[in-house]
Amino acid sequence: MSRLSFASLSTGSLAAAIALLVGAICLLLEGLVPWLSIFPKDWVLPATEGIGTGVKGGLTFLKPAARMFSALMAYPMAAMNYVLAAVPWPLLIAATVALGWRLGGIKMASMAAIGLGLVLVSGYWPQGMNTLALVTVSVPLALVVGAGIGILANEFPAFRAPVQALLDVMQTVPTFAYLTPLLVLFGFGPVVGLIASAIYAAPPMARNVLLGLQRVEHEVKEAAIMAGGTRMQQLFQVEIPAAKVQIMVGVNQCLMAALSMVIIAAVIGGFNDIGWEVLLTMRKAQFGPAMLAGAVIVIFAILIDRMSATLAQERRQLWDGRVSLGILLVGSIISLVFWSRIGDPGSYQMLDPVADGLDSWLTDFTRANAELLTSVKNGIMFYVLLPLRIGLDQAILPFTWGFQWTPAMSLWFFGAAALVGLALALRGQVTLGLVVLIAAGILETGVSQLPWPFVLVGAAALSWVAGGPRLALLSLVLLSTILVSGLWERALLSLYLSGAAVFACAVLGGGIGLLSAVSPLAWRVVRPICDMLQTIPLFVFLIPVLMVFQIGEFSAFLAIIAYAVVPMIRYTRQGLTSTPEEMIEAATASGATSWQMMRDVRAPYAAPTILLGLNQTILYAFAMLVIAALIGTTGLGQSIYLALGQADVGLGISAGAAMAILALIADRIVQGFAEERKKALGL
Amino acid sequence: MSKTVIETARESAVAGSDTPAISCQNVWQVFGENADSALKQALSQHDTADEVAAALRAQGLVPAVQDANFDVKEGELFVIMGLSGSGKSTLIRCISQLLPASHGEIRIEGEDIVSASKARLIELRRKTLGMVFQHFGLFPHMTVAENVAYPLKVQGVKKKARLAKAKEVIDLVDLSGREDRFPRELSGGQRQRVGIARSLVADCSVWFLDEPFSALDPLIRRQLQDEFLDIQEKLKTTIVFITHDINEALKLADRIAIMRDGKIVQIGTPADIVLNPVDDYVREFSKDVAKGRHAHVASVMKDPQNHPFGADDPGLRRDMTLDAALARCMDLYEPVPVREADGSLVGVINPADLAAALQVETEQ
Repeated sequence: MSRLSFASLSTGSLAAAIALLVGAICLLLEGLVPWLSIFPKDWVLPATEGIGTGVKGGLTFLKPAARMFSALMAYPMAAMNYVLAAVPWPLLIAATVALGWRLGGIKMASMAAIGLGLVLVSGYWPQGMNTLALVTVSVPLALVVGAGIGILANEFPAFRAPVQALLDVMQTVPTFAYLTPLLVLFGFGPVVGLIASAIYAAPPMARNVLLGLQRVEHEVKEAAIMAGGTRMQQLFQVEIPAAKVQIMVGVNQCLMAALSMVIIAAVIGGFNDIGWEVLLTMRKAQFGPAMLAGAVIVIFAILIDRMSATLAQERRQLWDGRVSLGILLVGSIISLVFWSRIGDPGSYQMLDPVADGLDSWLTDFTRANAELLTSVKNGIMFYVLLPLRIGLDQAILPFTWGFQWTPAMSLWFFGAAALVGLALALRGQVTLGLVVLIAAGILETGVSQLPWPFVLVGAAALSWVAGGPRLALLSLVLLSTILVSGLWERALLSLYLSGAAVFACAVLGGGIGLLSAVSPLAWRVVRPICDMLQTIPLFVFLIPVLMVFQIGEFSAFLAIIAYAVVPMIRYTRQGLTSTPEEMIEAATASGATSWQMMRDVRAPYAAPTILLGLNQTILYAFAMLVIAALIGTTGLGQSIYLALGQADVGLGISAGAAMAILALIADRIVQGFAEERKKALGL
Repeated sequence: MSKTVIETARESAVAGSDTPAISCQNVWQVFGENADSALKQALSQHDTADEVAAALRAQGLVPAVQDANFDVKEGELFVIMGLSGSGKSTLIRCISQLLPASHGEIRIEGEDIVSASKARLIELRRKTLGMVFQHFGLFPHMTVAENVAYPLKVQGVKKKARLAKAKEVIDLVDLSGREDRFPRELSGGQRQRVGIARSLVADCSVWFLDEPFSALDPLIRRQLQDEFLDIQEKLKTTIVFITHDINEALKLADRIAIMRDGKIVQIGTPADIVLNPVDDYVREFSKDVAKGRHAHVASVMKDPQNHPFGADDPGLRRDMTLDAALARCMDLYEPVPVREADGSLVGVINPADLAAALQVETEQ
């Protein structure tokens, strides 16, 4: 390549060329220089153990205070438990229905009645109440802490950057990862779940409080100053009330996060709550009851979400309070009259036959369709996931594909890729041509066996293109810490599975989003499904995939897709349908067909929004990846889960950090591209 | 051009007492990193404001207000006019201390407010200062009455008393019957009435209006301008009024300051601005203004002591517009007298000067 043509390459092409070069060198020297492809064990620093010892030391120091706090928190928890258990169910249902009426009229009231009715007849009422008790104690804690952080960050601009960074990190650190240090700190028991859920639920509150306060119109703030208010008067009488809608969004997210975490926390030792029930039944492969318990969780989630979401409506309407009082009165009367006959709601297991029926139907179904299910599973495993994981050269065996992959085939494969790349380059698409070659290399080698220099250089090159030299350096440094900490192979395994899931989500979600953008009818069908999927706590996604496909990577793959596909659908549709009316009119006036309009006007305009959707999808996939470790994945998720079981703080923290690093880098790269697109469009 | 006797007399009449209501001396506002120290350094190294501004710009800083000097007399309606980005909003925020000025002295009713304590500033805002905002700045979660009464609430006035006072001002701005509405339920014009009422509720004596009518439709704007003048007639507060609309400035102002790129390029009466623009920038503003409608006879007439006049008396008054005066002098060539309503002589005017004044532009 002559110097002239090298200099005339765009940043993208240059980055791709460098990555390709490094990858090719690594592949060629594979046999000669083994340390190029596999990072030598001797070079690994004992970081995991070091972190373990260090953090444990620190934790021991904090332990007495933590144990005291945990003992203290046991009181409100016990009180809440007692109250929710002692209140007769007719009164509790009446109270919820009354609240539902007040917030959302007949629709919300009937939702509450039907939802809680189902919980009652399922026989999971006591477990459900135990879970709710946890939520009712952890949420106020999270709200106060979150609002405090948000207000402080607003008041003292010096705090803002570190707080934002901390919130970013807390969002990317997987939930299980900080359960381990909490476990060491607070000991076993429900209080750990409570504290974990408060920690997990505080960031969204803080974020929304800060965002809301910053978004209060500048002139409104100035008007409060000119009215002669003190800072406290300005804050509490004007700014916080004016930011109410955004703050209520925070409350809603806080509630949902707390519920989600309370359920996940069952993993470290439940106490007869609903998350524990799901885990227990899943472990015993009783999928009917697991589904039933999962449904109870979903009902709670939907009720809490929909009711608190009404608080965040711009123009909120309160329904007639007298009706609510009436409902409450009826509930009290029923409770009083039938006091002695109410009995234990845990014994109303009226849905057990349904659960058993479901269970046996499911067994029959999987048995009857075993061949089909297996072939679907094996098909995707053998032809998609396995080649991606270990490369064509190892995945193609007589047993799976019916023939053996030979070095000659590799040559042919690379030759074909080179031809395609060259053809693209000649048509002016140099970067794309190089990317085709890189993709061929990755496919041949397999993501989990990529040579580490290539991954480092490739990530840095991509970061450079997306966000300039600073991001490139950040990626390089952060990835190197994973490399020397000895978690590299597991990180690549995680990268492979989440990468495959994200890719599937992008294709599937993009397609569904496109369809929803074109057809309002499709969106009417898709939208409630999306709403539903976003409300369901992570944990519940595992139940159906486990029922049909048993434990394994494929089930995890499906669970990740089911959870992570939603943002892709939403943002794609949002981006494609939010093109300004004037642009549409201009395109129409120019005589564009609707397909041309989609390709030339809507899609380019939507690109930044769709990229943000992809970004969310990536973060969702990483979050689910760790949860999916429960049903059998390899990689970092598994490490975090194992660390939890062994209370291995060092492994838990370093694997969690590695996971957060991967998420952070992916997040920054995609954000960088989205920013670049936005700038290019002048948005 | 030297000031006419009458104008000078009028200015001193407006002034009332000796202490100006607002006084700005060498006020600078610079934005950017380490702006204050850079300004200090630049001020010590350079003599003229233009050199200082150039030095600051060379460092990548933004001198949004450069060396502003002016006094506003008690009861005067002082308009600051300029295009967007000329620094007029920044300047009014310096005076109201919403932004601490980078440099300079700002006095309100003689009191140095740059060095005033936080508590004193709150006190001043409660008792002395009122402000109206371009986009109204209404509190979205409060009703009209609560919005208007808010400045009293922060002072601890009891609910009943403050709502009664709010009712008075709401009546003044003609919003009676809408006390319980929320801002989102009002039209733009009504919202600004609320903004005006809120700024008046605490009986301020210095009133800041930051482009109060810019966000409104032309018709509503004119209506509010007229009502604003009526209110000013009743209250006689000192006013600093920001606008980018020359016609609004000419209609309302006692004096106008014209800003460009952070600098005040001219301060003068409406007639001054229209008849004697100091540079092309100001001229450009007044180009489309029908001068005959804005300049008054007083700005062209001469001292009757030194100037004889002829026998014709077309009945000129000093507050007549040039257009109206010219219509009465169409076929006169001799100088004519200008009289007060009671018939006393106040000036002399030559019809040729009238015509010339209208054509200042073409002569240059």
